[in-house]
Amino acid sequence: MRPSASQSWPLVAPDWLQNGPDWLNDLGYDIYKSFLFDNRYEMYIKGLGNTLLLTFLALLIGVALGVAVSLIRVSWDKNHAEMHGPGKFFLGFFNAVSKVYLTVIRGTPMVVQLMIMYFVIFATSRNKVMVAALSFGINSGAYVAEIIRGGIMSIEQGQMEAGRSLGFGYVSTMRYIILPQAFKAVLPTLANEFIVLLKETAVAGYVGLTDITYAGNIIGGTSYDYLFPLLMSALIYLILVMFFTFLVGRLERRLRNSER
Amino acid sequence: MNADIIIQANDLQKHFDGGDIKALDGVTASIRKGEVVVVIGPSGSGKSTFLRCLNLLELPTGGQVLFEGVDITAKNADINLHRQKMGMVFQHFNLFPHMTILKNMTLAPVKLLKKSQADAEFQALKLLERVGLADRAGAYPSQLSGGQKQRIAIVRALCMDPEVMLFDEPTSALDPEMVGEVLEVMKELATEGMTMVVVTHEMGFAREVADRVLFMADGKIVEEGSPEQIFTAPEQERTREFLAKVL
Repeated sequence: MRPSASQSWPLVAPDWLQNGPDWLNDLGYDIYKSFLFDNRYEMYIKGLGNTLLLTFLALLIGVALGVAVSLIRVSWDKNHAEMHGPGKFFLGFFNAVSKVYLTVIRGTPMVVQLMIMYFVIFATSRNKVMVAALSFGINSGAYVAEIIRGGIMSIEQGQMEAGRSLGFGYVSTMRYIILPQAFKAVLPTLANEFIVLLKETAVAGYVGLTDITYAGNIIGGTSYDYLFPLLMSALIYLILVMFFTFLVGRLERRLRNSER
Repeated sequence: MNADIIIQANDLQKHFDGGDIKALDGVTASIRKGEVVVVIGPSGSGKSTFLRCLNLLELPTGGQVLFEGVDITAKNADINLHRQKMGMVFQHFNLFPHMTILKNMTLAPVKLLKKSQADAEFQALKLLERVGLADRAGAYPSQLSGGQKQRIAIVRALCMDPEVMLFDEPTSALDPEMVGEVLEVMKELATEGMTMVVVTHEMGFAREVADRVLFMADGKIVEEGSPEQIFTAPEQERTREFLAKVL
């Protein structure tokens, strides 16, 4: 049988600490039970892994959805007046679906969307990471769509006209001329959306997924002391965000220095 | 129909706001092969709209455009195919800023005419040579002056081997000292027999290079004729008024 934290503490603590002042002794004990006892540090590591995996998968889903939705919205807005036949019907249909998607997703809290996905739509699934990744991806896609749409609209009309005047169709002009410029323009904003997404995954604990936040919460609950577990969770996020912010900064500088 | 006619515009209309604003109010004109037609007129006269209707960058709300005898305003016409043969040069150059000059020029021939990259580059470099910019092939548009950009824009359009070139105020956005170099290229092109439709405020160019001048006002062609006739003996009061202001 494992010893309880308070029983085991005197056994592992070095003499100089046990004989030291009370406050130092207490501090050592708090840190011990927050991280070392029962190999609790493993839970933070597991949480970190899940947070990163979740963010990465959600990012992929979000960008794919965002690109698709933004293209549908832009194509419809620019072309529907000149379209006719079944093409207009389908694009109009997808445009309507996209608008509902954007309104609903951006108009409701992420946590509620996540719970609906896990407890209602995928109630039979036990794969928390996949369901949560899908849920965060669908949420992020709505914001990515608006970012990319803004990027496309920021490219001057003359670029589309130049492409069309050479004989490119609408889709080819988008592909070769508009989208490469739009992506370049919104890359820093997209990277920031990624950082926001990373922090948003903190609500994954609502469906019992062990992410960084949930790990801190659980350990705080079982050790009757929330201070160090939650500080640790916060610290991990902070380090991640600072690291990615640094990368985004470098990216922005590189884009600025390239030929434009 | 006259076989020489390459573009025929019939009763072109362009109305905005449900017919309240008539940018084009029944324009009929024909462009013959090898001809240089210069369109002049006060701003808001519809001359740019007219030019942009010829390759349907602007969709006319009425009338038709025949290109090489084919009605390109018809619903089943493949406008992309026709536009390959109608080069266009814009007031603001509209070079692709994310591509080098060479890429700007070879993109369309490679993707649309299915030329090999090497062939397209060979042709592009020859054209660059002609406008004196061969050394800028690897540069990006942002590294060029306005006059250089416009010369590139002209040769980019030429890379598609067009039948006709449309110029939409090609020198209006240029600093005065750069106007000459662009007009020089256009003159050379005219001498070689290229069919050109030019909307411009450069009356000197119109006088010197045009085979025919169209004077437009209020969405209509008010008067057309040889440059000598238009500039020295205009028949319409509206034309005289305009020329008095700009000459």
